[in-house]
Amino acid sequence: MMPPSAATGSSPSSSPAVEVNDLTVAYREKPVLWDVDLTVRSGALTAIVGPNGAGKTTLIKAILGMVPVAAGHVRILGRSLKESRGAVAYVPQRGSVDWDFPTSVEDVVLMGTYARLGWIRRPGAEERKAAGRALEKVGMDAFSDRQISQLSGGQQQRVFLARALVQEARIYLMDEPFQGVDARTERAIVDVLRELRSRGDTVVCVHHALQTVPEYFDDVALLNVRKIVSGPVSRVFTEENLRLAYGGRVPFLQGLMSGAVGAAEEGRTT
Amino acid sequence: MSDGGLLHGLIFDYTLRTVAMGAGALGAVAGALGCFAVLRRQSLLGDAISHAALPGIGLAFLFTGSRATPVLVLGAALAGWVGTLFVLGIVRHSRIPEDSALGIILSVFFGIGLVILTYVQRQPTAAQAGLDTFLFGQAATLMTGDVLLIVGVGMGALLLLALFWKEFKLLSFDREFGRSLGFEMTRIDILLTTLLVVGIVLGLQTVGVVLMSAMVVAPAAAARQWTDSLSLMVVLAGVLGGVAGVVGAMISATGSGIPTGPTIVLAASAFVAISLLVAPNRGLLAGGLRRARVRRNVRVDAVLGDLYALALQHGDPVGQPHDQGALEVMADGRTGVVRSLEVLSEKGLAQQIGSNGWALTEAGVRRAQTLYDPLVEAADAEDPLPGGGEGVS
Repeated sequence: MMPPSAATGSSPSSSPAVEVNDLTVAYREKPVLWDVDLTVRSGALTAIVGPNGAGKTTLIKAILGMVPVAAGHVRILGRSLKESRGAVAYVPQRGSVDWDFPTSVEDVVLMGTYARLGWIRRPGAEERKAAGRALEKVGMDAFSDRQISQLSGGQQQRVFLARALVQEARIYLMDEPFQGVDARTERAIVDVLRELRSRGDTVVCVHHALQTVPEYFDDVALLNVRKIVSGPVSRVFTEENLRLAYGGRVPFLQGLMSGAVGAAEEGRTT
Repeated sequence: MSDGGLLHGLIFDYTLRTVAMGAGALGAVAGALGCFAVLRRQSLLGDAISHAALPGIGLAFLFTGSRATPVLVLGAALAGWVGTLFVLGIVRHSRIPEDSALGIILSVFFGIGLVILTYVQRQPTAAQAGLDTFLFGQAATLMTGDVLLIVGVGMGALLLLALFWKEFKLLSFDREFGRSLGFEMTRIDILLTTLLVVGIVLGLQTVGVVLMSAMVVAPAAAARQWTDSLSLMVVLAGVLGGVAGVVGAMISATGSGIPTGPTIVLAASAFVAISLLVAPNRGLLAGGLRRARVRRNVRVDAVLGDLYALALQHGDPVGQPHDQGALEVMADGRTGVVRSLEVLSEKGLAQQIGSNGWALTEAGVRRAQTLYDPLVEAADAEDPLPGGGEGVS
């Protein structure tokens, strides 16, 4: 359906999907991200985890060139953002738009084709077909004509995911796709992530639910303004590192972590 | 003048026809462009632009000594645009929030405009006469040339709107996503805002700076009530704005002496009021009916559940009646038990047996099972009774 090499910017496998060097972002005086280095492995599912205000969303936006960067630089598939723009798809937080906007599900998904179309040209039959396929992948094909205000939160999230899929990118940057969704949507998203990985695509998710990190993701980056640690989940997703990232809020961690890092801990001790 | 007279005038009276055409065109353009302002929650921006345009009108006259509409409109557009840039600049570079920035620019520019206008009025020449109609608008001052200007420039604005439709939709719905696609959203924003400025200044002579923003907001707000499609909304807002323009201008132009701005805005407001009230789905009436229906259904289902609970409790065969009094006790303050029983009976879900007895029919049992058995299973361990039977223990 969508050949992995369909998007522009297919690159030698040697270059990482995303490479962030010495990145510092500051809104006014206070740094939101401080001297962050991060290498995102190509073809892997990576979670960005950290407490509120850790700069997770800002990191995604900085990779996309959407916030002014005080220092550092970002390479995508070994090239500048401008050169590999077409290889990157963005799934913003669901709450960032007005879902009462007068438009249909299909219309929103079609927005994913706008970059390919360029200025002025409108989506046609081919784009509609692609939108239909993307909606099918997230189990929303029956909703194509639905007004978006009639969707549940989980359905909204799947529409956003479909809009990114239709971009046929190589790298997907998602801001909390699992936030507040129903079980069915969660499964649908996980399935899509795995399919993307099987095609060799890369996914980076800002993620809140610590207990699902080992199950859903290959790699994890722990962030709290500075990067604490990043790497394969089995190696770096440890209680010790989480303590470092989340600071003093240990009681909150213990509840969540008891079963969660089990897998990771096992991997470490054996 | 009677209605027949107005219609007659619209067809045969040259002046009236000119005025109606101009007002209709400006209403259509402002209405269509206003949809984007409303959807982007920038309704106040229209107000700021129109008020900010006033000093531009005065200065254009001072510098050129001309009262020609294109000159004044150009001055108005420049001032309106500068005011908009100030708002955007304040929001970007200070901590003043957008609504405050809009309020500041609106009042400061309007104040300056009034000072300039007052100064101009004191000039000894007679050339300035009528500049103050820009405050509340006077459709009667529309000349053929003015109307051609409104129609021509307005068509151009609508053409650009159609051309960049996709980009404007992207900007209005999800600007950040647009940026991630590589579109220069700031440019799209400037283009759309410029079109809005154009749409607004075209109406200033007819509607006036004080009320022009209503022509931006009202048709869009009314149109939104009727449709969930952006394209339909824009077309409908254009039509409503156009009709409001024609109606208002004619009432004003036929010797009532009322400035045109208020009459046009009243017409547009009537559309808003009607739309708010009677539009399907989003209208207040439809919403009230929907809520009443839901309330009734909940009450009916609860009585059905109570009957089902009694039947389960006593291991009844279908058709075994229970006392209406028991149901009222079980309702525990919930009203409309009798009415609910009547509804159940009408639907064939329950039947009255004797004067005071009620029993589920087979259809009623099936309906109760689909409604309440899942609940019973879910709560099985703690409470074997259906959830609908509140107060039963």
